[in-house]
Amino acid sequence: MKAVESMFPKARIPYGTWGSSYFPAWQTSALSEVNIGQFAGEAMASILGKRKVPSRQLEYLIIGSTIPYHWKFWNAPMIASCLGHRIPGYHMEQACATGLSSVVIAGSEVNAGSYDTVGVLTFDRTSDSPVGVFPERRSYRRTEALVDVWDNFGFDPSTGGGMIATAGIAARKYKIDRAEVDELTYLRYKQYFEAKHSGFLNRVLLPFEILNVQGRLSGKIDDDFGVRQITLQALKDMRELDTCVTAGGQTHAADGMATILVSSPEKAKELSPRPEIDIQFIGKVDIRTLPGLMPEAPGIAVKKLLDRTGLTMDDMAVVKNHNPFAVNDAIFAKTMNYDWRKMNKTGCSLVWGHPQAPTLTRTLIESLEEAVDLGGGYVLIFGCAAGDVGTAGIFKVS
Amino acid sequence: MIHQMRQSTLQTLGLGSVLEIFQHGRLPVSADELVDRVFGKAGERGALVISGANGIVGAGKAMQLGSRLEPFGVPVIALDFPGVPDGMAKQYPGLVAAFGRGNANKIMGNIIRYSYDGKDLPEALSAHNPRFLLEAIPEILEVKKEHYKLFRSKFPDIDIWSVTSGFPSSALGVGIAHPAFPHEINKIWEIVEPVPSASSQLLWALGLIPMPVGDNWSFVLDVLFCGLTNAGTRFSEATNMPFWKADKYIRKYMGPNPFRAHDAIGAAGANFLSWSCLHHLSQHYGELFTPSSTFDEKKESGSNWYPPDHFRPVVDWSMNSEEYAEFNTWILGALFQMTSLMVHENRSHLAQMNLIGELCAQFSRGILAVIRSYGAEDARKLVEDYHKLDPAAAKKAWYPEVFDRIDTPEWQQLYVNVEHDGKVGVISINRESYNGDVNDELNRAIDWLKAAGIDHVIVSGDFHLSTQMTGADTTDFFPAVEDVQKGIDLSYSWSTTARRLNNEFKTSVGIINGKRCLGGYLELMMHCHYLVADENASLGMPEVTLPVIPGMEGCHWPFRKASPDQYPKLLRLLLTGKSMKAKDSVGWLTDFAGPLEATIQTAWKLASGGDHGLKRREVVQGNLPNVTKEIPKLEDTDDPSLQEARKAIIDCIESSCNAPLPEAISIQATLSGNFMTTSLFKKGVIGSAYMKTWKV
Repeated sequence: MKAVESMFPKARIPYGTWGSSYFPAWQTSALSEVNIGQFAGEAMASILGKRKVPSRQLEYLIIGSTIPYHWKFWNAPMIASCLGHRIPGYHMEQACATGLSSVVIAGSEVNAGSYDTVGVLTFDRTSDSPVGVFPERRSYRRTEALVDVWDNFGFDPSTGGGMIATAGIAARKYKIDRAEVDELTYLRYKQYFEAKHSGFLNRVLLPFEILNVQGRLSGKIDDDFGVRQITLQALKDMRELDTCVTAGGQTHAADGMATILVSSPEKAKELSPRPEIDIQFIGKVDIRTLPGLMPEAPGIAVKKLLDRTGLTMDDMAVVKNHNPFAVNDAIFAKTMNYDWRKMNKTGCSLVWGHPQAPTLTRTLIESLEEAVDLGGGYVLIFGCAAGDVGTAGIFKVS
Repeated sequence: MIHQMRQSTLQTLGLGSVLEIFQHGRLPVSADELVDRVFGKAGERGALVISGANGIVGAGKAMQLGSRLEPFGVPVIALDFPGVPDGMAKQYPGLVAAFGRGNANKIMGNIIRYSYDGKDLPEALSAHNPRFLLEAIPEILEVKKEHYKLFRSKFPDIDIWSVTSGFPSSALGVGIAHPAFPHEINKIWEIVEPVPSASSQLLWALGLIPMPVGDNWSFVLDVLFCGLTNAGTRFSEATNMPFWKADKYIRKYMGPNPFRAHDAIGAAGANFLSWSCLHHLSQHYGELFTPSSTFDEKKESGSNWYPPDHFRPVVDWSMNSEEYAEFNTWILGALFQMTSLMVHENRSHLAQMNLIGELCAQFSRGILAVIRSYGAEDARKLVEDYHKLDPAAAKKAWYPEVFDRIDTPEWQQLYVNVEHDGKVGVISINRESYNGDVNDELNRAIDWLKAAGIDHVIVSGDFHLSTQMTGADTTDFFPAVEDVQKGIDLSYSWSTTARRLNNEFKTSVGIINGKRCLGGYLELMMHCHYLVADENASLGMPEVTLPVIPGMEGCHWPFRKASPDQYPKLLRLLLTGKSMKAKDSVGWLTDFAGPLEATIQTAWKLASGGDHGLKRREVVQGNLPNVTKEIPKLEDTDDPSLQEARKAIIDCIESSCNAPLPEAISIQATLSGNFMTTSLFKKGVIGSAYMKTWKV
């Protein structure tokens, strides 16, 4: 493994202390009826319990979420109370870049010596998203109502376009072939189900039983509800919504949470069930591309990150991304001259959904587990985010 | 000469053994003579003073003792600071509910209230001739000592007990009587005094349950309850399981729900008291009792343990077998170690130590009974496993050697004792509900008598720890809800034990000396050749109301001993669930009912071969057809569940009566066990409790 400097030499991710809920598609599970912040706090306590990490080990909590939830004003301290440990915290939000950015902020806090152990907790509920009512004097209606998830998906105020339009524009720019996108999508589903059937996902995803207000079982969150096997022919038969974009070739809204810890090297050895595994932060960048070209942004971010670190794609043991559109992967492969078959070997958000903040957290967790299975190496994760943003991070597992 | 399997708990009060009560034909002392000794004879009778009378303990005890002393003309002086909130008036509705308005007014009329400033006693106090002071003021050692000094300077002969102290008697310089919550109704008092006093015996004579304990820091109840709460917090801290869920598991597997209890009592006060208890214990006994960091926080904040309503839990928690083992280790490991300490210190008669947890802290089985079921080796191993999780606890207060004596009768007979004089044996039961432990101990008691060649036996309550026999402990039925064979086995096993009273003695006499005898206990007692009862005792078979099918042969045994013209009475008993007075049951359910002393004397005559004049009612061995031919008119028949339950019981009566005696036991056990898996049972009282406490 090529030696490069770590961006946070005094911070580590303790192996095996992480976990994620399954990501049921929106409106398909009991998660669509809960305060997702409360759920996330309680679920994190449970995950840490399963990982044999007392929540009292945490000194600080960084939460990441993008969709308002009840009592959001109270923020990380409230979520920490739901976790069962009254600690201070901080809220991070940058659309689908939230997960990676939250982890990096935690690394920064630990590296600076502020804390020994910081919890990162990302969550979102796209189901029944809140509707904001905004007094808007310059609007002819004077008051605007905005459905947080769907209205934002459909309208980027910077460009006036919707998310799906960026995929079509980028596909046309790079002359992406629909047949390639269908094949790529088919492979992504195959990768996901192979990982699922191998038991890999059971190591990172934990089931939860959800209670109603009477304290009775409201539902079990024990699968990525809404994800089903799909054939190549079915993908081919799908109507195009925009250039190279079909219902199968784009992700779906989902609900869920994911958590990961960041700590000092010493504390990582103490907390991890396998203290011999060392996980370091190598680098992270965000870039913003031209208006309406969001799917090309991740590739640009990765290129910049590789340039900065001196690493190449060949140095990467695991490559995994948040790909709301299959087009993203095709463009990435084309611009980076990289075989998309080598990416996302244990599944990706194109298949298992898009609850925004926890998306890249789950991506990171799965990547790190995969790297450990491979005996270590560099892990590259990346993705796009609202506003034509691309984000990318590299971690080293040894 | 009296031979005992173990010492009777009555003897710890200086009141002799249970066998002696029967030999002498009367109770060892009367309330009249003890009131004379403690408060003086009529005409010069003094008063009971309760200081801090408006507090929770003071007000509760003023009601409990006031209601019992009023008939003897002992006034209760309620002393407190002026301006403190009135804790006494709050008690009045409870008094009215318990005694009726007339009696409640009489009791309150016997309570005289005085205010004082904490420095000088009211002048008028002398006129009441204070003979006894119950001190219930705040837990500050110097303040308490000054208080005693004040009283002794004015009333040198006054006897003093502190009822609100965790300090040892040696530190206070007075006796201690530690009552259990809720103070108005809980009869248990842990008493610290060098030798049993007339005051302790008076509590007993007034129907309360004094238990002598050693002069150690804190009390058995507090060690168990506060210790359990602390263990719960440590478990939660280690595993992240929220308190509400840990509470439910503790309730399921041990009985108490310590966190809910703190919230219910009032977290601000209760958290401080529990913390304070643990803090003092940790000063003497080390880390085992050190309040957890959670406890420190809760003490400071006074916040509840359960989440507020708007944060009702969203994520449920469950335990796999490995996690359950860890839970057990954290909770039981700590409790076992605490128990080793208390046994080492010889804090109390083991039967009392065991029952304090059940009667005062809702333990479903006493902690000594639980340790006993583990056996010495496994109990020690559990504590050692606990020390791996909590190494600091191992440094002090661990006495593994006390478990060496688990096989002795002191450990083995926690609920059932037995004595004999060479001819007559007396089995005394101190647990108010019949469970597997009682069943096992009863068998050992019978074995002990048989080995001694005793053919005549009296089965009785213990005249101390048990004031009634309420029937089967229905928590023992819970495993049967999901496994029909467990219900059948339980019923068969308990019935087999009951039959031993009929089959293995020349004479067996059941005596009902308490307030009531219901359900399973009544079934047990009816297996004796003779059944005698205090005439005012309530007898009943409430199974139909729960509903459950009587499991100890109640559906056929009493019919086999009654004449056909009495069948309707038995059917009414079984099919209405309503109790009756023992004096109305003579001849068809009991053989004698009278005043308590006469009942005791009759029991002794029956067992010892005296002239009793009663004819033994033989048990019909063959089939009894047509028992249900004439079912009496019953009330409340519009309730479909009751109708269904009645039908099930009638079916059981018909099937088990219409069979020879040797076969009837299996028939009844099968029907009783089967019933516990039905939806009707699950919808009922026991099924609901099962759903609430076991399906967590």
